[in-house]
Order: sequence, then C-alpha cells, then structure tokens
Amino acid sequence: MSVTELKERHLAATETVNNLRERLKQRRRSLLDTDIAGYAASQGRTPVTFGPTDLVCCRTLQGHTGKVYSLDWTSEKNRIVSASQDGRLIVWNALTSQKTHAIKLPCAWVMTCAFSPTGQSVACGGLDSVCSIFNLNSPTDRDGNLAVSRMLSGHKGYVSSCQYVPDEDTHLITGSGDQTCVLWDITTGLRTSVFGGEFQSGHTADVLSISINGSNSRMFVSGSCDATARLWDTRVASRAVRTFHGHEGDVNSVKFFPDGNRFGTGSDDGTCRLFDIRTGHQLQVYHQQHGDNEAAHVTSIAFSISGRLLIAGYTNGACYVWDTLLAKVVLDLGSLQNTHEGRISCLGLSADGSALCTGSWDTNLKIWAFGGYRRVM
Amino acid sequence: MSPAAHDAAQYSFAVEYDGPPLSFDLPRAVPISVDNIPVAAVVSQVPLSDALALPVVQPLLPPQLHHPLRTLGSEPRVSKLASETTVSPTSVIAFDHRASQSNVGELSGELSSSGAVLDDGKESVDFNELNQQDCASTESVLSLEYPSTRVSSLKAEDIDAKRPPVVTFDVDSDDDALNEEFDVEDTASRPVIKRAPLTKGKKGSCYRCFKGNRFTEKEVCLVCDAKYCGNCVLRAMGSMPEGRKCVTCIGFPIDECKRGSLGKCSRMLKRLLNELEVGQIMKAERFCDANQLPPECVCVNGQLLSYEELVTLQNCANPPKKLKPGNYWYDRASGLWGKEGQKPSKIISPHLNVGGPIQPDASNGNTQVFINGREITKVELRMLQLAGVPCAGNPHFWVNEDGSYREEGQRNTRGYIWGKAGTKLVCAFLSLPVPSKSSNSLGEQPSSLASRTIPDYLEHGIVQKLLLVGCSGSGTSTIFKQAKILYKSVPFSEDEHENIKLTIQSNVYAYLGILLEGRERYEDEILGNLRKRQSSVLDTAGTSSKLDDKTVYSIGPRLKAFSDWLLKTMVSGKLDAIFPAATREYAPLIEELWNDAAIKATYERRSELEMLPSVASYFLERAVKILRTDYEPSDLDILYAEGVTSSNGVACVEFSFPQSASEETIDTTDRHDLVRYQLIRVHARGLGENCKWLEMFEDVEMVIFCVSLSDYDQFSVDGNGCLTNKMILSRKFFETIVTHPTFEQMDFLLILNKFDLFEEKIEQVPLTKCEWFSDFQPIISRNRPNSNSNSINNNPSLGQLASHYIAVKFKRLYSSLTGRKLFVSPVKGLEPGSVDAALKYAKEILKWNEERPNFSLSEYSMYSTEASSFSH
Repeated sequence: MSVTELKERHLAATETVNNLRERLKQRRRSLLDTDIAGYAASQGRTPVTFGPTDLVCCRTLQGHTGKVYSLDWTSEKNRIVSASQDGRLIVWNALTSQKTHAIKLPCAWVMTCAFSPTGQSVACGGLDSVCSIFNLNSPTDRDGNLAVSRMLSGHKGYVSSCQYVPDEDTHLITGSGDQTCVLWDITTGLRTSVFGGEFQSGHTADVLSISINGSNSRMFVSGSCDATARLWDTRVASRAVRTFHGHEGDVNSVKFFPDGNRFGTGSDDGTCRLFDIRTGHQLQVYHQQHGDNEAAHVTSIAFSISGRLLIAGYTNGACYVWDTLLAKVVLDLGSLQNTHEGRISCLGLSADGSALCTGSWDTNLKIWAFGGYRRVM
Repeated sequence: MSPAAHDAAQYSFAVEYDGPPLSFDLPRAVPISVDNIPVAAVVSQVPLSDALALPVVQPLLPPQLHHPLRTLGSEPRVSKLASETTVSPTSVIAFDHRASQSNVGELSGELSSSGAVLDDGKESVDFNELNQQDCASTESVLSLEYPSTRVSSLKAEDIDAKRPPVVTFDVDSDDDALNEEFDVEDTASRPVIKRAPLTKGKKGSCYRCFKGNRFTEKEVCLVCDAKYCGNCVLRAMGSMPEGRKCVTCIGFPIDECKRGSLGKCSRMLKRLLNELEVGQIMKAERFCDANQLPPECVCVNGQLLSYEELVTLQNCANPPKKLKPGNYWYDRASGLWGKEGQKPSKIISPHLNVGGPIQPDASNGNTQVFINGREITKVELRMLQLAGVPCAGNPHFWVNEDGSYREEGQRNTRGYIWGKAGTKLVCAFLSLPVPSKSSNSLGEQPSSLASRTIPDYLEHGIVQKLLLVGCSGSGTSTIFKQAKILYKSVPFSEDEHENIKLTIQSNVYAYLGILLEGRERYEDEILGNLRKRQSSVLDTAGTSSKLDDKTVYSIGPRLKAFSDWLLKTMVSGKLDAIFPAATREYAPLIEELWNDAAIKATYERRSELEMLPSVASYFLERAVKILRTDYEPSDLDILYAEGVTSSNGVACVEFSFPQSASEETIDTTDRHDLVRYQLIRVHARGLGENCKWLEMFEDVEMVIFCVSLSDYDQFSVDGNGCLTNKMILSRKFFETIVTHPTFEQMDFLLILNKFDLFEEKIEQVPLTKCEWFSDFQPIISRNRPNSNSNSINNNPSLGQLASHYIAVKFKRLYSSLTGRKLFVSPVKGLEPGSVDAALKYAKEILKWNEERPNFSLSEYSMYSTEASSFSH
C-alpha cells in the first residue's frame, strides 16, 4: 500500500469519525431536553443565600515565598500540603496555621501535590517529569530536609496532576504533559498501567488534571488540553470508557461530584460544566456573562460535600461559589474581606467539608469557613 | 466610755469596775490544779510478733510552693500521700489560693476590676478611660480562661489624656458577648482593646511551655505581650500572617509601645526561619492593615485624624518619624511639628492638609512671640535670638518652609532663619529640629527617583533568571553544558560525571551498533551483486566455482558473534541495561573491531547511514579510548554527548560572571558583578505543545531562544504528522512563545546556534531550500572570485551574510508580533568563547534595561552604543 493511498484512507477515516462525532452531538442535543437549572427553576427551587458570616476567611497560611500552585487536604486530620514555585512543599496544620513540615524540592517547578489517604506521605510532581514521594515520618537530614523516599519516573512530559487512590497508600494516579495518565505502584516504583499514549485512544494533548471517583476508586476522569475530559477504568488501560466533549478550551480542572455519578470541569473557555458519567450527557454549564472582554479562565474547581455548591477559581482573581442546582453565582470569594491579592490557583475542601482552602499567586493560602457565632446550648 | 477615762486608762492593764451592782454571777477563772489533769498511763510491755509491722508515716517532703502542679504530676508516688496528709500551713494557703482563682471565675473578674479602680485613685485622674480599658482587658481574659492576676503595665507617655473614650465596656454583659468579640475579626470598626496574654507561668518563663527563666531568649507577641521561647514561638504564632503575634491575637491592633520594634527582626527568628521567610514576615508586620497606626489615636491641632489624613501624613516626602498615638501640633506654613504643649521636635513636609488650624497655645509657650500664630517656647526664642532674628517688641512672625521670615502683615522677607551657618549648630545644642536635606527645593522628586532606581532583584535575593528554550536539536543543551563548564568551578559532580560517562559509553555502543548494522547491509549488497554476477557466470560457463564470501565488509567469526549479539540487544532495547556495565568485558573486543578493515570501510561510507547522528563520528574516532573502563570524559566529550541533560524536562544552573581584568572600570565597581544568574533550560519536547507551563516562568528576566542555523534544510515530522522544515517549526515555536501572555513585556535574545556547521553547509546547500528564506539573494557572492575563500575585510562570507539575513527575518517577525526589538547573537555552541559572549550580551541587555529609566541623568550613556554594537 503506497503512502498516498494510506494518506487518503486516513483522511477518509478522519472524515468519518468527525461525521459520527457530529451526529452524536446532535443526537445528544435532541435527547437533552432540559438542564439542571431549568428543571430546578421549574420546580420552584431558590438559590442558596449566603449571610455575611457564612463563609469568611478565618486563617491565612503564610510561609511560601512563591506562587502557590497546588494544595491537598488529608482525609482524616486537618492538615494541608501545599506546593509553591519557591520549590517547597509545606505541610500545614490548618487549625493552628502552623507548619509541620517544609520540604525543599530538588526541582523548583512543582505543579501538583497530594496527601496520601493515611496522611503518612505526600507526593508532588512538576516540570521534572517525575512524581516524588516524601514520607513525612522519615528523619530529616542535617539541613532539615526530607529525602525523597520514592521517585516515580517514566513520564515523558511534566507531571501536571497526581492523586492517591483512596484507601490505598501504595497506588497513585498521575496525569502528564505527555498526554497520558499513569497508575503507579509506589512500593515498586513501577507503572501498573498507562492510560492513553501513542497507539491508544487517549488524550491528544497534555493531561492537565485528574480526579478519582470517591465511591468507586477504579474509575477516574482526566481533563486535557484537547478540550475533552475522559473517563477511565483502571482495569482497562487500552481505551477510555467515555470521552466528554463540550468545552471549547483546555480543561484545566476536573473533580468528581461527591456522589460519584457526575463530575465537574473547569476550562480555559471560562465555563464550568457538569457531566454525567452514566449517560455521558452534559448536565449543566456554569458560565458568568462578562460584558466586553474575553472570559477569564477557570483554574480550579471544588464541590461542597453535599454537591450543592461548586467553587471555582478564575484567572482574573474571582472565585465564584455557584449554586449547582440553579447555576447562579451566590458568592464571590474574590470580593470578600481579607481575600487574596492574586489569582486563586488551587482550591480544596477539607474531608469533612467544614472548611475551604484556597491557594493563590500572592504566595498565601487562606482557610474559609463558617464565621458566625456558634451559640452553645 | 468617757474620753477622760480613756485618757486615764491609757497605760493601765485593766480598769476596776465601778458601775452599778450586777444582778448575776460573773464567770470567773478557776485556778488549775495540776494533779487533776488526766495523764496517759505508761503502756505495759505487750508481746509483739516480729512479723506484725506497724504502719509508719512516710516523712513529709518539703512543700514545693513554686511547682505545685509539677509535684503532683511528676511524682505520683508521693502525690497521693501529699495531697491527703500534708497539713503544712503554707501548702494549704497555696492550694486555697489556687482554688479561689480557678473557682471564682466571674466573681474574681469583678474583684480584679474593682482592684483596678482602687489603683485609679492613686494615679492621676487623666488616666480614666485607660484604666477602664484595662478593666475591659482583664475582664475579657477572664471570660476565656482562668483569670490572670497580671495587670498590663501602662506607659504614661503613650497615654493621651484628652482622647475620648473609644471603648465602652459594659461590666454586666455576659460571657457570650465577649466570646463573640474574639471570634469576629471586625477590622472595619476595630475595637482598641489592650489584650492580655491568655496564660502566664512564673515570671520570666515561656508563656506556653512554662520553662526557662528571664534570661532565655524569647519572642514577644506584639499585641498581648506574651513571651515565647524558641521552641514554642512557631507553634504559638503559627505562620505569622501579621508578624509576630499569637495566633489568637491575629487581627488585633498592636500594642502601641511596641510600634518601634515593627519590622525589626530578632536573632531568634532569623535562626528559626530562612531569610526569605523572615523578610516576608517582617514585610507583613510593617505593612499589614491591622498593624497600621489607628488614625483615631493621632490628634493634630486638636482634631482627630481621618484615615486619609494619616495616609497623607505618613506618605509625605518628609514624614514625622516613629509616629506614636498622641496629640500633636503642626504648623502648616513652616512644617514645624511637635507634641502638644512642647517645643517643636521635627520639621516635616509643609502644606499638608492634616488636622485643624494651629492653636496659639499649641506648644504652651509664654514668650509672647508668635510664629505663624503659635506662641513659641523660650528655647525657640533663644534660638531666634542666636540666629540674629530681631525679637524685640513681641513680634508676630510669618515663617515659610524655606526658613524665610517676615513680620505679620508685611510683604518683604526680613531674612532667613537658616541662613547663618551657626544656626543649625545652635539648634542641635538646644535640641531643636532643623530642616532635613531632602526636603529642600526639589520636593518629592528625589525620593520617588530613589525608589525607582532600586532594582527588582535586590528584593528577590539577587538572582536573575534566564530561560533557555528552543526546539529539540537546536543546541540548548550544548549551551547549557557550556555555561556549566564556563562558570562553575566544579561543572559536574562525581555522580554526574559517572552518569555522563555511562551515557557516553552506551551512546558509543549504540553508534557501533548502527555501524555494524550498516556493515551487514553493505556486505549483503556486495554478496548479492557477487551472486548475481556469479550466477550469470554460472549460466554462461556452466561450471560451478566456490562461492567467495569474502568481501571488504566481511569480519571474522568472533567479531561476527559479537556483532550479532550487539544488534540483538539493540533490537530488544536492552542496550542501556547491559552495556555500560559490560564495558570491562568488551573493551578489548572493541579495539579489535575498530581496527578491522571491514569496519573502517563501513565508517568511510557513514554518510549513507541516516541513523547515525553527526556527532557520532567524533565519538567513534575515539571509541577505543572511550570504551576503556578508566575513561574520563573531557569537557569537549561532554559537550558533544547527547542525552546528558535531557533526561528530564527542566534543568537549571546558577552562576555569576567571573570578573575579568579586561573589563572596564565601571563594570568592576558595578553591583552587577555580584548578581547571580540562573540559566534555566527547558526541554521543549517533554513539555507539550500548549506551553501550559510557561506561566511558571513569569519571573524570568529574559528568554533566550535558541535556533539551529543549520536546520534550514532539515525536515521533521510535526504534530499533525506532516513533514515540515525544521526552521519553520522553530519559527512556529518562536511565535508561540513570543506571543504568550506571560512574556508580554519580556526581552528576548535569539541565539542562532551552530554557526560553524552553517558556514560549511551554506556553501553546498542554498539557503532558499527553506521556503521562508526564498528571497535570499546575496549580492556579494557573485563578485567573489572563489566561493571557498573566506571573508576579506569588507567582503563578508556567505555564511555571515546568510546569518544576518536570518537574523533580520526573525527581527521583523518579532517586531511585527510585539512591536519591540529583538536581540540576536550568532553562536557556535561548541566554542566556549562564543557562548560566553552570548551570555555576557544577555547580561548587558538586562543591565541596559535597568538603567534605561534614569539613563538621561547618569553617565552610563555609553551603554547605549555598547549594547547596540552587539546587536546584529
């Protein structure tokens, strides 16, 4: 078969795929008679209202000297790990705002960090294309630095995102700029499976974010520069379970809905969307109309524990709290008192849902929680 | 009892009763008869068995008054006994005391506040509302924890007697209300409450761990005066978002008497934290809102300041230093500034719109001489007399900010107070203020200029970051390695050296493998030809002759076996795993192989082996030496080596330019030589096409973009699977980076790398091979008699012309995209001098940028020509 013939066939196949995709899109549109907001409004639901003290900044975690890029809460205690461009990971006690660990990283360009489910170790990854694991209990060396306990190397591009598999300290999933996601076995330091890549039906651009389903840890979802999100089953590495189209820009952030049947995305097109993993439908678009200029990108998203609230950070410094049912902005953290001075780059909710932590390019982290008066009976 | 009787009885023991007779019996003391007192009888000897032990009371330990808690906790064996049986009077008192403290909660609040009221009486009446505040503080503390007996010390000079009460404290309010006050950080209407520490141990100890004495080094909370030792300070103060405050004190205004120490770091903090963090905390301490002077505490000319007025006052060119709460007077016309009722203490910027009009009795003078409507003090009068100002007849002067004075109502200036040289000396003697130098003539200009000339990097720890990017194969790694070798005393550590050695060795094995593969191909080709010829011979002659397998490319069986094995390992991809380790075993074989005629013949035809990279010949020619176990890679080897730095996406090296004797004198005194540079090399291939990572490099000072000049006839597969000219790919990448929003105001230096290769290539392959350079028509090349001759003075070579042409192409592209100027430098990556020149050029650009703003008023104007002379 000659090269020209192959090229023709390839073109034809691409054409077919695009046609099918378009048909699928239209079919979906015809099936999707309403979105959540429309339905909720017809049911007479009213948006959540926020009192002045319902969400206030109650702690400022100061200690980084560079832009904060990522943060993660422990599952059991009130600890936070944060990663910053000053080349440090800091483990905080969120209640007392004390640092329990400050880990100097071999590569300063860190993009992501994660706490292990037991809270014994933290992982981070960045432009060095390696995911490094630090055991918090291991002794520090002379300079007070913690040694890397395991290097997970194998990615051919930057590590943009990492998350431990829930209830397992030994497995971790990373997303990378080499268009793949990898499930790692930390004890051996080897790749268990690679999702996507050259010859498989995976992302066609950098993976920017991953999120593991909280109720079924075999499933995880990834967001990518190819403007899609893909759902993966860790047992089937060869192809994605489902691909979610809809965004018109890079998908910067994906996060599973607390019930595990939906997930949210935040994108460079300035919208957040909610997708259903069972039907593959897009349930809702969360988009704030701005008058003239182009929309600010969404950098990071998080759901409240009930799922009623979606918190999204934007590149213009805003941080909206959306009512997921009615698709209305009910609060802007960026306009509150004591807010960040720079862009909010990462968000995270504590395991019990009582507090929100935001990390910003102004080098600080802030804890937001209910700030009203608790009357003791 | 009558007074007289009282007087009489003054010294008597008892008085005889002389009143009316009593109708009842008086009880009377009966003398004791000693015999009647019952006495215990002597016990008779009872036979006791030895086994029976009598209970023996343990000896009592001396009561430890200072650590009753510790005694209980640390010595459990005695504690039970002590608490039950100790009846030592002192310990009873101590326990009681503690009990009353912890039990009486609310009650003792009232007690202590009444105590404070009692104290009031002794002090002057002026302090009323401060004591009231104090009550508030103790009361509020009580509601949180058990009461502290401590009454915060007050400093009289900080107390402003005329201040209206800011805090209205309701003694009857319940605990709930107080708790609320602690939960909410209401910065808008900040209550001025003097907080007391929540806990307190014995005097001088740490407030958290209760250890140490008054001599141990401690850090003090700016709000509540709590002191913490080195072990506790980080726990008690957390991350210090507002400077040195307890976590519970965050959001509260600082204790005014500690304002002087704001932003002054202690030794202890410097020891505990790194420099950047300390800087950050001190910055936060000085500038955060909660630590600013509350405007309602400052009263100027009898008027409380508003927030705006305070800002004006503090941000003027010549502000009052160390402003404390209190009452001040301010003379707008002359800028004189002083405490109310006192002589002037400072001359600040005049004409500030702050406070009310000045009162005649502002400085409480009694000389009947007035300056700008203020009756001056005796000291001032003395100064005026010494300065030669005629003060007879109680004149009213009008004094301007420059010291010129005239009598009120008159137009012409009588003279200048500061005109005489001795005046300032007199002022210093009388401790009167003199105008500061910066306030003269120019006003605000110098200060703003000074703040502008402080370069950014001074705050960033004097590291300037240079980002080195380029498409793969553009030689960024060579430049990176070259910089390491040039500027580092130890370019590569032991480990790195070992790794490099292994990398080079396995590379050489790979090259050899390619060579052997080529040999097989050539051998097969020749054999095939031979067979064809032989078969044709066979057909014609009909006689079978022995097939002669021996060709130029044939090798012996031993080498053949090795070759087969090497190729097999290469195919299976295990070369890296096996080879460097197996070097010892194969080193002699390599020598034999390399000297074999067949390999030599193959090597001659290496240009036909497209798998073989151009650097391979460098290494293959040294293969025998390199593959010895004792091989040490030279700098040149490292420069040539592939894959030494590209193992991960990003690498960086920090360096400073060494001072050379040939540099100009200006440069040696320049602070630039102290600046450290960080060269960050990013491997574009591993970082994706969308450049999501670029915003991480927002803080770099300059981007050095690397383009390989010799790429113009090379082709590579791009993202869409199409074969594209590598120069065009470079241009695309360049456009992406230049137009990235992160690098909007960034300087770019374009390095045209591999100039040496390019010079050779341009003679053979025309530049027009790349469609972007289709309009390259060198004029001089036609005039040149011999195409191989190099440049004669004003006759530049084709290579130079072409590189200039490419540079102009990129410059035009850049200015069409950004409207700014692109700096370009041709470089031969393998020559140290060339890379050094390029990086120094980068330094010059940075320096030039910094000095451009104040270029007109400095003598550095020569840099303009210097910088531009570099650009091509």
